[in-house]
Amino acid sequence: MMAIDRHAWTNRWRDWHPAEKLLPAFGLLWVAVVLPPLTTAPLVLIVAASAVVWGAGVPLRALLAFMAAPAAFLVVGAPFLALSLDLSAGLTPRFSPQGAGVALTSTLRALAALSCLAFVALTTPVVDWAALLRRAGVPSGVVELILLMYRLIFGFVERALAGRRAQAARLGYSRFDRALRSSGLLAGNLFQRGLTRARWLEIGLAARGYRGELRVLREERPLSRARLAVAMLGVGLTGLAGGLLARALS
Amino acid sequence: MSVPLLAARGLDYRYSGGISALRDLNLTVERGRKLAVLGANGSGKTTLLLHLNGTFRPTRGELRLDGDPVAYDRRSLDRWRGRVGLVLQEPDDQIFAATVEQDVSFGPLNLGLADSVVRERVNGALDALQIADLAARATHSLSFGQKKRVAIAGVLAMRPELLVLDEPTAGLDGQGVARLLDALQRLHESGATLVFSTHDVELAYAWADDVALFHEGTVLGQGEALAVLRDHELMRAARLAPPLLLEVAGALGVNWSAAPPRARDDVLSLLRKRLGAQAISSERAAGQGAPATAPIEGGA
Repeated sequence: MMAIDRHAWTNRWRDWHPAEKLLPAFGLLWVAVVLPPLTTAPLVLIVAASAVVWGAGVPLRALLAFMAAPAAFLVVGAPFLALSLDLSAGLTPRFSPQGAGVALTSTLRALAALSCLAFVALTTPVVDWAALLRRAGVPSGVVELILLMYRLIFGFVERALAGRRAQAARLGYSRFDRALRSSGLLAGNLFQRGLTRARWLEIGLAARGYRGELRVLREERPLSRARLAVAMLGVGLTGLAGGLLARALS
Repeated sequence: MSVPLLAARGLDYRYSGGISALRDLNLTVERGRKLAVLGANGSGKTTLLLHLNGTFRPTRGELRLDGDPVAYDRRSLDRWRGRVGLVLQEPDDQIFAATVEQDVSFGPLNLGLADSVVRERVNGALDALQIADLAARATHSLSFGQKKRVAIAGVLAMRPELLVLDEPTAGLDGQGVARLLDALQRLHESGATLVFSTHDVELAYAWADDVALFHEGTVLGQGEALAVLRDHELMRAARLAPPLLLEVAGALGVNWSAAPPRARDDVLSLLRKRLGAQAISSERAAGQGAPATAPIEGGA
């Protein structure tokens, strides 16, 4: 999570208007979902990954790390889609060619969708898409809450890790029962500290005139129509290529 | 004498558990001065500072802002907090927004200023603390020292007449302290009145105009820094050791009524004069201009 956030803040496309990244990402996702997956999904995967690595300058390693965990689930889960249960002779799993097709297409689609998500996550910091949410009409209270949680989660993780390390240094995790006890104590401690911090944050905000609304200046980032047009053209071409390839192959 | 900017008379404060935190406390904040509230950790300095912007309401006693008794209704509090800015000790208790620029804009927006004015104020505050380069950074990625300055900028952008800082140097390394004091000094020179709490006798001596000696919930004495810190009886009562520089100067037999040395360089040159140049290695004498912040725990 920390790595994703770091890349989102430091990539080459960081200063672009968020719409220039979100619209193409959703475009690609849409293309991957509606067009024949066998040809389109791999294309989407390639396009999105290239955009992340060569366009935004996020290291390939970071992209792979992002994709690794969900991809592993896909790879483990997909084979089961290719099996069907034969109930006539007890419970016998049987290979089904139709199931194999479903497994392949859904895996490809999922991977393509994942790459679109990676594209957004690795290039757009939370603040930016929060601004977009606000413009899309999401109530400001909800957006404020998202941003506050985002801000506080880092401190929370830091504290949790530090607490765990301190406990481990005193052999708090040396046996299963101790580990259980230690994590319980840590959770209780974090909860209490959370409450204390909330109280102090309220004092700090009140000192700056807080009246129930967390209003801050919005960043003004010009939308580049040219860039957006190029990106959408890329999405269109990807879809076109996928569709044509699928027709040629069938 | 002119009307003080802020004055507390006979403040008592009890926490809801009945524990007494402040007892018959008097404090006067004169316009244009740097006042140190000096006392041991855990003596209730933070509780006092939280009274100065109306966060806590005294159980007894009163505060006067510009000579007028304060009120605690919403509107008065808003006005009060616009004039008296409070910076908490822990910057994470104050910084809530995701980027530096956004966080600093919070206060001035709450003053009801137009966006363009707010933007100007944000830039001004960031410049004053020399952190303009951090404007677009994520607040969670900052170092402690940077967070500290962002927290101050967030209050400064409201342009308060009085800036109250709780232990501003706590947790900073020598260089961080020097940078922060440098920034605060510039603020002060541009007309801001400063109140800060500290347990650091050396800091109070090196930097404050006035000192209020704080001990167990009350101010034992307040006055010009030198007068207070030289008052052995008062310092003993507050369980604080006198500033090292003063003691060294005293040991060297410096005439007290002449201006005693305030910075470590002064003391070093004094020492050099007494002991001969070779006695102090030149490296050590090449002090970085940072104020001496060697912790002196308050023994009797």
